[in-house]
Amino acid sequence: MLLQLNNIFKWVNSGGRRTFLLKDINLTVEEGEFISIMGPSGSGKTTLLNVVGMLDGFNEGEYNFMDESVHQLKEKHRANLYKEYIGFVFQAYHLIDELTVYENIETPLLYKKMKSSERKALVADMLDRFNIVGKKDLFPEQLSGGQQQLVGIARALISKPKLILADEPTGNLNSKQGEEIMDLFKQLNEEGVTIIQVTHSEKNAAYGSRIIELLDGREIK
Amino acid sequence: MIRTYIKTAWRNILKNKGVFSLNIAGLSIGIACCLLIVLFVTDELSYDKFHEKADNIVRVVFRAKVNGEVIKEAVVMAPVAQTLKEELPEVLDATRIRRIWMPKMRYENTTYRDSRFAYVDPNFFDIFTLPVIKGNQENPLKEPGTIVLTRDEARKYFGNSNPIGKMLVMGDAEEQFRVTAVIENIPENSHFHFDMFASMEGYPYAKNTFWTKSDFFTYLLLREGTDPELLEDKLPPIVESHMGPQMKDEIGMSFAEFTKDNQLGLFLQPLTDIHLNSDFANASELEQGGNIKYIYIFGAIGLFMLLIACINFMNLSTATAAKRTKEVGIRKVLGSERKQLISQFLTESLIATLIAMVIGFFLVILALPFFNNLSGKALNPAFLLKFRTGAVLLVMMAFISLTAGGYPAFFLSSFKPVAALKSKFFTGKGTKGLRSGLVVFQFVISAGLIFATLVVGRQMSYIQNKNVGYDRDQILVLRDAHLLGHNKTAFKNEILKDPRVKNVTTSAYVPAGPTNNSMSGVFLGDRYQRRMHYYNIDEEYLSVMGMELVAGRNFSKVFGADSLNVIINETAVETLGFKDNPIGKTLTRANDKGGEELTVIGVVRDFHFKSLHQPIEPLILRYNSYGGLILRTTVADMSGLIESIQKLWNRFDSGEPFTYAILDDSYKETYRAEQKMGDILRIFALLTIFVACLGLFGLVTFTTEQRLKEIGIRKVLGSSVAQIVTLLSKDFLKLILLSFVIAFPIGYYFMDRWLRDFSYRTDIRWWVFVLAALITVFIALVTISFKSVKAALENPVKSLKTE
Repeated sequence: MLLQLNNIFKWVNSGGRRTFLLKDINLTVEEGEFISIMGPSGSGKTTLLNVVGMLDGFNEGEYNFMDESVHQLKEKHRANLYKEYIGFVFQAYHLIDELTVYENIETPLLYKKMKSSERKALVADMLDRFNIVGKKDLFPEQLSGGQQQLVGIARALISKPKLILADEPTGNLNSKQGEEIMDLFKQLNEEGVTIIQVTHSEKNAAYGSRIIELLDGREIK
Repeated sequence: MIRTYIKTAWRNILKNKGVFSLNIAGLSIGIACCLLIVLFVTDELSYDKFHEKADNIVRVVFRAKVNGEVIKEAVVMAPVAQTLKEELPEVLDATRIRRIWMPKMRYENTTYRDSRFAYVDPNFFDIFTLPVIKGNQENPLKEPGTIVLTRDEARKYFGNSNPIGKMLVMGDAEEQFRVTAVIENIPENSHFHFDMFASMEGYPYAKNTFWTKSDFFTYLLLREGTDPELLEDKLPPIVESHMGPQMKDEIGMSFAEFTKDNQLGLFLQPLTDIHLNSDFANASELEQGGNIKYIYIFGAIGLFMLLIACINFMNLSTATAAKRTKEVGIRKVLGSERKQLISQFLTESLIATLIAMVIGFFLVILALPFFNNLSGKALNPAFLLKFRTGAVLLVMMAFISLTAGGYPAFFLSSFKPVAALKSKFFTGKGTKGLRSGLVVFQFVISAGLIFATLVVGRQMSYIQNKNVGYDRDQILVLRDAHLLGHNKTAFKNEILKDPRVKNVTTSAYVPAGPTNNSMSGVFLGDRYQRRMHYYNIDEEYLSVMGMELVAGRNFSKVFGADSLNVIINETAVETLGFKDNPIGKTLTRANDKGGEELTVIGVVRDFHFKSLHQPIEPLILRYNSYGGLILRTTVADMSGLIESIQKLWNRFDSGEPFTYAILDDSYKETYRAEQKMGDILRIFALLTIFVACLGLFGLVTFTTEQRLKEIGIRKVLGSSVAQIVTLLSKDFLKLILLSFVIAFPIGYYFMDRWLRDFSYRTDIRWWVFVLAALITVFIALVTISFKSVKAALENPVKSLKTE
């Protein structure tokens, strides 16, 4: 078991009324799974993904990640945990504009305080694998959307995470680029990386091994 | 990691060139001003510290209050030095300076009259650190008739030949001095600059025992660890025991009787306080000192300049923070810790500071000659390379990068990653309040300085235009004309033939610039009143100087008729209680022969014979003309006249150099310190508001960018260009108006105190505030309009399309 959510509630108070973002979510993810989260806008997909990714907190419930009780951890430990085991891929790529392709991929390693020689080797491998060696000195704005997302994935993978969280990774791409990215995810999953993706598209969801549907913060089967 | 910080910082800088240049421009100006001020202040504070024993040297000074008259003198009586050394165990040694005002000095056939000359006790060079570079190292002034020259002075008289053993001759009495040593030139930061030091041995005055005549600058070397203030307490009994008996002889009062209503005593002044913390009249000091007040003022301005520049940096960084939120979010998601982000942002401000410092450094080197000219200093750019300056620079750099970059760093790094990625979190509301506060702070300082500049300017023009009781235009002073001796009359008669000369008077007394000073005690009957100033003049003096006789008559040429008659000024009339009819009243002037009775024949309207800092004091004019010549001319440009007079002077072939002074220039010279201060203040005020406006410009750029869409919509809805400009300027104007509310009361408080230093001064009228406000608002509006007008004129379709 990679992670487990038990009775997770998350809410915001607005105007004296409590609005639930997540309502009694129970989720167990085994290593090697490829899960798709689906649901209409505002159903809490991204919120759930952020909770899993430890970027966002929750109000009630328990969250265990690799035998650690996330809900009891301090901010710093939590950060160390996700830094170590989780990679993020975003719909809007979220590359750092001021950094080149190479540097963008390298950044997570910097924050892990890895030695320069090791970093070089790892980044070179990654560039190789994704066939973007020739673009390593370009800045994000010089790349197409698909290429940017490729860099985004490469960056997410560089620290060898156990889990990849992807928030509509193909949302900003045309269908051909989208297909390539999904194929890549499939391949990664086959190599043993656990993947949770948020998606609107049935077709993309089909790449996964399991689908979770949300409506108004609640899981519907 | 550091490399990455620097790399990203540099790329960010390149990306935001506009904002960055504004920051750098402001910072480098701020740094340059601050450095200049640091140089200036350190120099002022360094006075006399080069003497190795500086911390243990004090000067003995004299202070008294006699019948309401405050007497402050930096000189004391001849026997003080020896007496204190003998009677106080804390005093290790004592030495004296007796200044002789530029005597005629001759070596073989060359004569100069510009050597600053002093008799000093033989132990002078043991107490003061003035290294001998040639000649007798040990005790050059032991023998009577020996003299020590500074390096430049030795070269002046002897060129490249060896000065040791050469003979100098002083004055008409042909006193002989043998050069025994040459010392290094006296550093600029010394409170005295003599060119020659003659041995006090054999100088007859040095031995006199009068406790009633002050002529000697006296310095004590105290035992290590002695507190001068405690030692001061031991002085009164010593003064009483020595001065008492002599006082009884002189004014017929015992010391106890005299001090019942009057105060009098010797005090100790640390050597290092002399330059900045002295309140002695310039005439009494060795040299015009600085003023600790100006050190505080300039220190504050330097700090303010730096703060304003730092504030620009802070403001622009937080204002543009919106652009950085995404980056912060990503970095956090990728595993960055907060402190790493803080380091990254601080690196950016450090790089900016470094660049600004290098530019500021060059600005200082460029501005230094100009600043020296302005401040009357000889600051050297080499000073910047000294180790201590390096330390100051490092501290300054740390200070600037932390102040300027600290807030943005902590602020930006505090974003929560999810919120930052959504970019919804950042509306800038929280920082807007702070930014407004900082803008207000900047304009408080700018408006305050503009106000101060206006007040100083007004006081200076008041001084220029003040009716000082005499007409100082077109007057030429030839103070050295008496050097012609018996030829003076012939010289005067020749001058009178020149049609450009209206009138000539003979007197050594001039109301501005170098002048003789005479004071002596005045009695009414046998009641001692106070000391009063004397002017010795002839019958032409009043008319040449344009002074007005308000009662009685002028002196008359008839020989001997007026030798015991005097004209007094209005203040003297009042002080002496001659209100109802002063003419014919008598007073007694104390002199060596027991006093002479003088009769008042006229009253002259009060004129300022001291600077406007001091109230007009009682003055007695006597008919006793000697000294140089004072000419009333009919030409505004006196250069031609001066040339002809010089030719005339040379015809008499006296061997004396020709000198002259234009009275109006001397008058202005009196207020040079204030003039200097005013000039410096004006420049710094301008720079301050310039830097503040750089920041304002940046902020306006930012807000107009943010509101581009709003502007577009408003224009589509029919808003005029003027309405949009108003919309954009309104918020800033409010802040600036608010800053006036704070700036003016503070400014008024300080400027009022500054004005109080002048006995005669302008008042601060309401319109000075209005003018200061208008100037500030005008400058700010011009700055704002650069951007706001452009934004308002933009085609709305363009801004709406991009959304």
